[in-house]
Amino acid sequence: MPVPILAVSNLSVDLDREGRNRRIVDDVTFSLAPGEVLGLVGEAGSGKSVLARALVRAVSTPLEIAAGRIVFEGKDILSLPPRALSAIRGNRIGFIGANPMGSLDPRLPIGQQIVEKLRCVRPEIGRAEARDKVLDLLGRVRIPSPAARFHEAPFQFSGGMMQRVMIVDALVSDPSLVIADNITQPLDVTVAAQIIRLIDGLRQSLDTAFLFISSSLPVVAQIAERTLVMQRGRIVEEGRTAELATRPAQSYTRALISRIPSIWKDVGAPPARDGEAVLTVDNVRRSYLVRRRGSFNAYNEVKAVRDVSFSVKAGENFGIVGESGCGKSTLTRLLAWLEQPDGGRIAFLGKDLSHLSARSLTEMRRSFQLLLQDPYGSLPSGMPLQRMIEEPLLIHGVDRAEAARRAQEAMAEVGLDLDLADRLPVGLSAGQRQRINIARALVLKPRLLILDETLSALDQVEQAELLDLFNRLQATHGFSYVFISHDLALVRRMCHRIAVMYLGRIVELADNSTLFEQPHHPYTRALLSAMPTLEDNRFPRPRYLLDGEPPSPIDLPLGCSFRSRCPRAQGDCQKTDPPLLALAGGNYAACLHRHEALHEEEAVHVE
Amino acid sequence: MFVLSFLLRRLLQGALIILLVTFIIFTLLRVVPGDPARLIVGGMAPDEVVAMKAKELGLDRPIPIQFVSYLGDLVTGDLGTSFVRPKSGASLGGASFDDATREERAKVLDLILATLPMTLQLAAVALALALLVAVPLGTLGGLYPGKWPDKLALAIGSLCVSTPNFWLGIVLTLFLSVKLKLLPAIGYRGFSYTILPAIVLAVEIVPFILRTLTVSVAQVMREDFIQLAPIRGLSRSRTIFSHALGNSAIPLINLLGVQLGMLLGGVLVIEFIFDYPGLGLLTINAVLQRDFPLIQGIAIFISVMFVMINVLVDLIAMTIDPRLEY
Repeated sequence: MPVPILAVSNLSVDLDREGRNRRIVDDVTFSLAPGEVLGLVGEAGSGKSVLARALVRAVSTPLEIAAGRIVFEGKDILSLPPRALSAIRGNRIGFIGANPMGSLDPRLPIGQQIVEKLRCVRPEIGRAEARDKVLDLLGRVRIPSPAARFHEAPFQFSGGMMQRVMIVDALVSDPSLVIADNITQPLDVTVAAQIIRLIDGLRQSLDTAFLFISSSLPVVAQIAERTLVMQRGRIVEEGRTAELATRPAQSYTRALISRIPSIWKDVGAPPARDGEAVLTVDNVRRSYLVRRRGSFNAYNEVKAVRDVSFSVKAGENFGIVGESGCGKSTLTRLLAWLEQPDGGRIAFLGKDLSHLSARSLTEMRRSFQLLLQDPYGSLPSGMPLQRMIEEPLLIHGVDRAEAARRAQEAMAEVGLDLDLADRLPVGLSAGQRQRINIARALVLKPRLLILDETLSALDQVEQAELLDLFNRLQATHGFSYVFISHDLALVRRMCHRIAVMYLGRIVELADNSTLFEQPHHPYTRALLSAMPTLEDNRFPRPRYLLDGEPPSPIDLPLGCSFRSRCPRAQGDCQKTDPPLLALAGGNYAACLHRHEALHEEEAVHVE
Repeated sequence: MFVLSFLLRRLLQGALIILLVTFIIFTLLRVVPGDPARLIVGGMAPDEVVAMKAKELGLDRPIPIQFVSYLGDLVTGDLGTSFVRPKSGASLGGASFDDATREERAKVLDLILATLPMTLQLAAVALALALLVAVPLGTLGGLYPGKWPDKLALAIGSLCVSTPNFWLGIVLTLFLSVKLKLLPAIGYRGFSYTILPAIVLAVEIVPFILRTLTVSVAQVMREDFIQLAPIRGLSRSRTIFSHALGNSAIPLINLLGVQLGMLLGGVLVIEFIFDYPGLGLLTINAVLQRDFPLIQGIAIFISVMFVMINVLVDLIAMTIDPRLEY
């Protein structure tokens, strides 16, 4: 091994709060060769981010570096005088964080801020030279029209574009090491995959070493040669990523890997089933008017949901997936009848909701219940648990004694201890809070539960427990579920049929096995190819991954709205906006040049 | 283009607000007791003279018609003529109804324009004093939350907010003017007469600026981009001066727009205490004399100023932070 660029030995960081010490980073030793990409994985709270900051001596009270040595390019970071440290931080060591939107001053143009940083760490560089360098790098991270975007402020960028800007910010001083702390976490899968591909390309041309930190082993496995596994502040395993993923030596690593849901290997996809339709959505449309910036009285129409049709059958799990801005949340609000569609029809149990009187609508609302994503914001903090669960019953005119009895039944059913009945929700875990929400929906004996990212705030273990609960409830009560989610693994495991949305439209609607194994729409394939997996991806990235970002829902391209990013787009896509076409087996796809089923199997063996 | 459409929209909104204020003030003044015609001609005048005066001034017409004709004058810039004040000076007129000098009455606009510079001078000095004290102290308080600058800022803020302005005015006069003879206090015969009332007014403004700034600086310092700045390689002074302060300034500037109302209210009392010949003193006297046109004129004038200053404040906030759009 060549001389390491960074050598960390016996590093410990303590959290000192009211005289009580807790060790956050515990006796960590590792080293990093020049140009190497080293992965660091661990669950939330394992001390990864603290370690990342400790490496550049950027921890502040109540955190304190207790012991250890960090040698970077031959200099001991922990004993350097402040001036020498500032010659390293931001100059020789770049840093990219998990919050691209909040990483720069929101008021000022990004170009100006990167130039400011570069001239701060390298005062010998002139203003014009710094500017050229930033422009060059903005182009290299493939930000379209860099000269114009140089002058835009962070709020004018999307999360993915802003993360590219932060990569420029880290690389602009030609550092020999970049610490990337969870940089793909807030991004959509296809954007995250683009960012990883970008970093992979850049580091080959720049010869920069990366410490790539993530809570997901599949993400790290896409880029890191070697990986460290961190648990409660300690490095429990270290090795070549490929070996570590296939032959983990430590039980913790094994547990970590076993919790990664499999997508293709040995998956029993729930087959589509028959049943009467509970919910029918028919050509539903919704747009919003937004005043155009810098105009006196002109409005833009944001088409959030465009001509969406599907139905959910009794006892069925229906999945709706798509990336941010695809209209999932608007659709959720329409399905829950919190907002009414501009056009089209939503019928529940055969009754058009827009034709119901206020009273029968309230009565009908018992049968479809919405469960939200945020387990903290969705509960009133000053109300005892049982009272919270009784509330929907009281609203619907059930008397107190009966409501109390049914609330306790529901608590038992969702697995909440009856001792909690008189307690306030303070201190309950996210999982327990979601159980309260489920109980609140359950007491009304609904037919349909709409789950809007209900499980995404939970960790893997809690998620698995709640999914079991959902299955159990479905078996006893015959519920239908609509899962609205960006988590493809969850949808793969739970849903009978799945709709994929892009820019307000359903582009593909198919049963589980078709959608994951032989999807017809190029966008579905792109989504699947972007999923970080340890198993071989059925849709290899070089072939299916998209470039760019979705166009704005204000100016949709003429013709097919996906054509601007579609690898299969041809001349006719500019003219015809393809409707959702019925295919064999009750599946649908909206594409003129769709992938026909099986004959692209050979791709499986490429990667 | 952007600025133009913004100005156009805001000025239209402002015009609507002013119209509403005008209507409310006009109506209120006509339903309160007290007959202005009687006031003008004097208590001893016979009833026919009062009726004639009322007819001459149009006071016998229905209120909506009076309002419309008032609006008509208003758009030509004519705020009317004072009922009570003569053009020549401060005399309030005698009891006699046939005194010839009483006919020469002052234009409301002239009265306002004569006193306005005095008030503006007082307000500007007060604001400058307040900013001079509150900005450094508030910033330090925000930079070191929980430490002594923060505690000092809180202490000074509490002290200022709980000091009654009339009491402070009298105490300062007693010490600085009467005992130490450093500053003049009553009336106006030069710039030095502004300082004492300005100090009292500043004491009223300081706590608000202090509190807003401490909170907003502390909040901005916790933002990710400030926390990340040292890791990106920026020095602390650069982070504070070019990023933290700019972002904390926006709530402060918005506060100052609203604060102007407070300032005008404070001016009323303080000008009265120090007998300072500004808009506040004029207002109080107009109210005491039931000088309807003057009260109306001042109210409308102040609402116009209010609207303009808030448009200005928004414009400034927008140049500091391009995310804002009103």
